[in-house]
Amino acid sequence: MPTKGISFIMFSGTADKFIPLGVLTQSAVNLGIPVSIFATGWAIQAFTKGGKDKVNRMPKEFEDMAPMLMQGLKDIKSPSWYEMIKTAKEIGDVKVYVCSMMAQALKVDTDHGLDPIVDDVVGAAAFLQMSAENDKIFI
Amino acid sequence: MAKTLVDSRGTACPGPITDLLRAYRKASNGDVIELLATDPGVKADAKAWCQRTNNEVLSTVEKNGVITVEIKIMGKKG
Repeated sequence: MPTKGISFIMFSGTADKFIPLGVLTQSAVNLGIPVSIFATGWAIQAFTKGGKDKVNRMPKEFEDMAPMLMQGLKDIKSPSWYEMIKTAKEIGDVKVYVCSMMAQALKVDTDHGLDPIVDDVVGAAAFLQMSAENDKIFI
Repeated sequence: MAKTLVDSRGTACPGPITDLLRAYRKASNGDVIELLATDPGVKADAKAWCQRTNNEVLSTVEKNGVITVEIKIMGKKG
């Protein structure tokens, strides 16, 4: 089985974009594909302590459709993006990294303020080196 | 040669394939897993999963909104 993985670079912090992150991460490990997630920019807040419950902003252009989407997800009993990443970590190789530079710029306490789902705080070069063989997806 | 029933009815994508994977880890070659799901994506997803993991879809039947996929386990090593 090929060991090449997928690297997701999460930049946008809007709630809609966390749905494909969760679904694609869990689906990848279902297939035995390793996943690396690099949280940077606005997405960092979701990976801070208590941050997963604050992922509720929607992009302006789809604001009118957001309630319908949220209700639809509830109707199909879709787990939250966070639960999907947690499940994915249980069953496969998933690593979550927080961007050290953006964390510093956003004044995030990387020693005590991050969610336990985060594996490490790294620089961009370190993440790209780890992801050298991976497909990279910017969300 | 055991037959295992995995009931994923009411679980959204990608839950059924995760349930299948969990059952697969406990299974042996020659076993059959019967996966029940209501997520319409399961038909293509179970087929893709079998291609990736060298297992075989024996049948896919849809009845009253429930999709039943029978998978023969043959991709386990060692």
